Amino acid sequence: MRSPQFSSFVILVVLLVVFGVADGNFLSPLNISNMMAFLPELGIIALGMTLLLTAGEFDLSVGAVFGLAPVVVMLLAQNAGVDIGVALLAGLLLCISIGTINGVIVTKIGISSFLVTLSMLLIVRGAALYITQGFPLKSWDQPGFFVTLLAGSFNIGAFRFYTSLWWFIGLSLLAVYVLRYAKLGNWISAIGSNRNAAVARGVPADAVKIWLFIATSVLAGLAGMISAFRISAASPVAGTGYELEVIAMVVVGGTALTGGRGTILGTIVGALMLRAIRNGIVLVGVPGLAYNIFVGVIILAMLILHALLQKNAARS
Amino acid sequence: MMQEVLRLQGLQKSFGSVRALKNASLTLKEGEVVALLGDNGAGKSTLIKAISGVFPIDRGDIYVRGEKVSIRSTREAMDLGIETIHQDTSLAPDLSIARNLFLGREPVNLKWLGVFAPLDLAKLRDAASALLKRVGISKKLDADALVSTLSGGERQSIAISRAMQFAAKVIILDEPTNNLGVEETHGVLRFVKEMRDAGHSVLLITHNIHHVFEVADRIIVMRRGEIVAEQTVADTDLLTVESLITGADLSALMKRAQ
Ligand SMILES: Nc1ncnc2c1ncn2[C@@H]1O[C@H](COP(=O)(O)OP(=O)(O)OP(=O)(O)O)[C@@H](O)[C@H]1O
Ligand SMILES: [Mg+2]
Repeated sequence: MRSPQFSSFVILVVLLVVFGVADGNFLSPLNISNMMAFLPELGIIALGMTLLLTAGEFDLSVGAVFGLAPVVVMLLAQNAGVDIGVALLAGLLLCISIGTINGVIVTKIGISSFLVTLSMLLIVRGAALYITQGFPLKSWDQPGFFVTLLAGSFNIGAFRFYTSLWWFIGLSLLAVYVLRYAKLGNWISAIGSNRNAAVARGVPADAVKIWLFIATSVLAGLAGMISAFRISAASPVAGTGYELEVIAMVVVGGTALTGGRGTILGTIVGALMLRAIRNGIVLVGVPGLAYNIFVGVIILAMLILHALLQKNAARS
Repeated sequence: MMQEVLRLQGLQKSFGSVRALKNASLTLKEGEVVALLGDNGAGKSTLIKAISGVFPIDRGDIYVRGEKVSIRSTREAMDLGIETIHQDTSLAPDLSIARNLFLGREPVNLKWLGVFAPLDLAKLRDAASALLKRVGISKKLDADALVSTLSGGERQSIAISRAMQFAAKVIILDEPTNNLGVEETHGVLRFVKEMRDAGHSVLLITHNIHHVFEVADRIIVMRRGEIVAEQTVADTDLLTVESLITGADLSALMKRAQ
């Protein structure tokens, strides 16, 4: 019961109870529906980030990709008259290229992923601002198959859910499977734990890392599309700061920033927790401008807790 | 006559201006233990990394059972039956013993799923437990325990059992008894003998000459990237070997001192 996911889970429950008691609206169907609408967008990116962190790398460009992908897709569809399916395919290829460039530079040239993806953040965000001249695109008013697929909504009783929740659940199950039960997961953990040992056993470490960079970029782009379709608009500044929020979700869940130890369940708990905190502290009346202070303090407290548990486990 | 298993001819390897291997040639036969000796920086680890596919060689040829091969990756070396236990790296501490034992060669179900194939966890655990028993690690180890909770000696034993597991033709051990206690050291030496008796060839790198005389059939000495001597253990003695390693004529010195 010392596992990091479990302690995060306990804290999540405590937070939910505290917020629920402090403000009656917190657990209302409307508020829960609200949280569930936002949750998948960051949560989906966090799944990719968890795998990447477990392999010992990370990606700061996800927030920028979240912004650029829908901008490119909607520009193509609105201004160039490209079919939306084709435009989405172009967006997918764009994300794959960004992930590939990140991965190849990190593994083949050997520059740390911090520096490579920080530069990529600037390039991608800059590109989004430049091609839109800094203005949000005009709103997307064509419902259709893809809009329903990514951002359709449905009601269950008093709750309103988006199809993005299904995407998040499906991708979470896939990620749990890959990391815990598949051969690939064994490789990912081994690479993050001791890369040379993994390579000495014939594990194609560079290829695995490149694919993880690609997966993370694609997931960031998917999340960006979901968000843009949900609000029927794409903005070049969408997703600003998401990279840090996502990394916070992942490490709060118990995945080690240093690689080797990753937990998807922990990340899901972490995503729920950050969502609940952001939502709850507004409801209980913390002034909007002060709420990053609370978020920061809670994240720090979680990390201290994990570190202490880790130390205890090592001692026993 | 014993069959030749591995032959290296004129291997060269430089790291920038450092010529780590100048012109290394050697032959390894079936069922023999060859000790590779030499001072720090002589090029021993570089030589065995070249054979095990950690990096490509600049020049030279490698023959396995008489056939010329090119070893471009660790996977290719393993597929040729060459298993290596490296001096500096061997296990992933965050993985369990069982997962480490089968790293890179995981037993899976639904093989057609490729890297997404599910691990055969039951088989993984059973095979790992059986292996741990066979290697006779003093303490009883749980196959699910994380490697980060093991002692240095236990880790070494795990790495060795892994090489044993895949019953390679050639097993290369780079300073396997470093940091080991007395009992564990004897375990390793016993393992080397067992492997030889089972017909495998062993290339053993060590700085402990006593171990050499205990298990090796032949000695190869390297100095500054070159192989400078080759002797059968039966025809030599400790002092001669020591002087070969350092390059100083110790036996002459000893005579003068008397
Ligand atoms: N990756 C590398 N890059 C640069 N130089 C290297 C590299 N690996 C080895 N060398 C150099 O090559 C030479 C041979 O090193 P090697 O590790 O093969 O020695 P060794 O015989 O195994 O020594 P030891 O007994 O200390 O393990 C040394 O001078 C070393 O500094
Ligand atoms: Mg060495």
